[in-house]
Amino acid sequence: MPGWVLFVTGVLTLAGIYGALAMALNLEAGWAGLWDLGTAGLFAVGGYSFVILTAEIPEVSFAPELPMMAGVVAAGLITAVVAAMIGLPSLRLRGEYFMITTFAFAEVIRHLITNEGEITRGSSGISGLERPFDDLVSGRDYNFVLLGIVVVAVIAVYLVLRQTAKSPFGRALRALRDNEAAALALGKNVTRQRLKAFVLAGLIIGMIAPIYVWYIRSIFPHLYVSDITFVTWTALVVGGIGSLRGPLLGALILMSVTEATHFLQVDADKATLIASFHPIIIGVALIAILRFRPEGLLPARRDYPVARPTGLGGAEPPGPPRTLVPQGDAAGGGH
Amino acid sequence: MQNIVFGILTGSTLAVATVGFALVRQTEGFVNIAHGQYLALGAFLGLFFMESWGVSVFLAGFLAVVAVAVLGVVVARLVFDPVRERGALVLFFSSIGLAYALYGINQVVFDPAVRAYPVNFGKNIDLGSASITVGELVVIGIAAASVILLHVFLTRTTLGTWVRAVAANPELAEVRGVRVRLTSGVVWFIGAGLAALAGVLIGVLGTVHSEIGWANILMILAAAVVGGLGNIYGVIAAGLLLGLAMDLSTLVIPTEYRLTVAFAAIIITLLLRPEGLFTVARRKEEVA
Repeated sequence: MPGWVLFVTGVLTLAGIYGALAMALNLEAGWAGLWDLGTAGLFAVGGYSFVILTAEIPEVSFAPELPMMAGVVAAGLITAVVAAMIGLPSLRLRGEYFMITTFAFAEVIRHLITNEGEITRGSSGISGLERPFDDLVSGRDYNFVLLGIVVVAVIAVYLVLRQTAKSPFGRALRALRDNEAAALALGKNVTRQRLKAFVLAGLIIGMIAPIYVWYIRSIFPHLYVSDITFVTWTALVVGGIGSLRGPLLGALILMSVTEATHFLQVDADKATLIASFHPIIIGVALIAILRFRPEGLLPARRDYPVARPTGLGGAEPPGPPRTLVPQGDAAGGGH
Repeated sequence: MQNIVFGILTGSTLAVATVGFALVRQTEGFVNIAHGQYLALGAFLGLFFMESWGVSVFLAGFLAVVAVAVLGVVVARLVFDPVRERGALVLFFSSIGLAYALYGINQVVFDPAVRAYPVNFGKNIDLGSASITVGELVVIGIAAASVILLHVFLTRTTLGTWVRAVAANPELAEVRGVRVRLTSGVVWFIGAGLAALAGVLIGVLGTVHSEIGWANILMILAAAVVGGLGNIYGVIAAGLLLGLAMDLSTLVIPTEYRLTVAFAAIIITLLLRPEGLFTVARRKEEVA
């Protein structure tokens, strides 16, 4: 098999995983206005829940060895519960306080995983994990099986989120983001709606997490450093915050560019040098997009009518805000 | 007790790192994640000047601080000024992008191996149940002096008054004739310089490695939140407190959880008094 086929398969697989993560993040950040920096933590919870529940791990006190599908569902549910536990207290906070708190929770999760070696084997991690349909195909052909799984997962996440975006729940989230006072006055329960978005995103992240474990074939705490969070954010910002397909496009572009640097590898000496270009590419992409095209490559307004531009710098200060609900009605209330 | 000495050392360097961060946060209005990479750059540059030019640690540190301070001003003009109108979130994510770019450039330019400053800490001073070296006392002295100098600058000079005016109310400051652009340059110079100074001090006390920036921005965020993000005097106290808490915690819980203490501090602080913090955040948003 030619090398480039394997390369493209690998890029598409990674792009699918990050695309699904970015779509989940989009639900929180794009629609609900929750600037969550804890993606890596929830991703770790999902991955570890799956491995601990399904894998056969020596020297570990708890390993029930459940079937794979049960493991995926359980990973999603456990991650959703953890998301609720993080969300309940953190959602009271706003702006940068919310970001710092979710970030801190993600770091605490990683420290807990590293230090509670009883069930996670600590920093040495668990490797040589089994994957679904492992015995059907052999060796390199497995990459295509994995890509198939990713494609199915991405389509599923996309359909769920498309339904969510159109549902009253999705509209309520965007209304809360654009004008909290107005939405509150219309009888929307702000915290409850936000918690629902946060938990749903957690469920999706938790169910995507096993795919990443299959891709890596092993699991260790260092996989889940904040890079995961920031790469996901960059994919979302590049693609277009609030847009349905934007996160997928952003992840595809970002992964193509960063993984393409592997092609440049000439010898082991230069390998570390080339690896240093990954963060530079991500950093420069983030700065450039925010500067020149803050609404992303696929702006959200194509997908559904939006009250106002939804890019990171969405709120344009000059001029009256074109909100769906006239502010006077919402604030005044005296009929 | 030896842990108290360690705690004061950790705390004083953390205070220097955080006070620059808080100054930028207060006058520029956003959380600058790249602050940790300025710190890393300071640590690497100081080591570079010492090793390749053969200068003393003091001169190398001074050169590193000035270089990073100038870089801080230039980067602010190139990266942050063009997107200033788009608000704190765009600035925040730009700073994440900047942090990644600096982190990568740092790895390309400098040897990423773990290294230590070639310094001699001098003789040990006995404090009963603990001891401290002359070099460590000098580190604490420099940290304290830099914080005191910052206080004098902010309270006794015209420029310092301008910095405080812009921090309190940028529009009003501009109306009253404060040169906002100059003030912003001064803030970046001091903020990035203090980050580099903290980097040199942390490098001298421990080691210099490629992850030093990320590891420290987490502790800086923790100290900043505990002290109240933009409150310069609050974060100095919080930095010291957090340093002590982390090093004293190793007496009761496993050493591996030393960093977890910092994050637990963030979470507990934010959850115990969200109303107070929330009102501050809300007021800033309304101004912007």
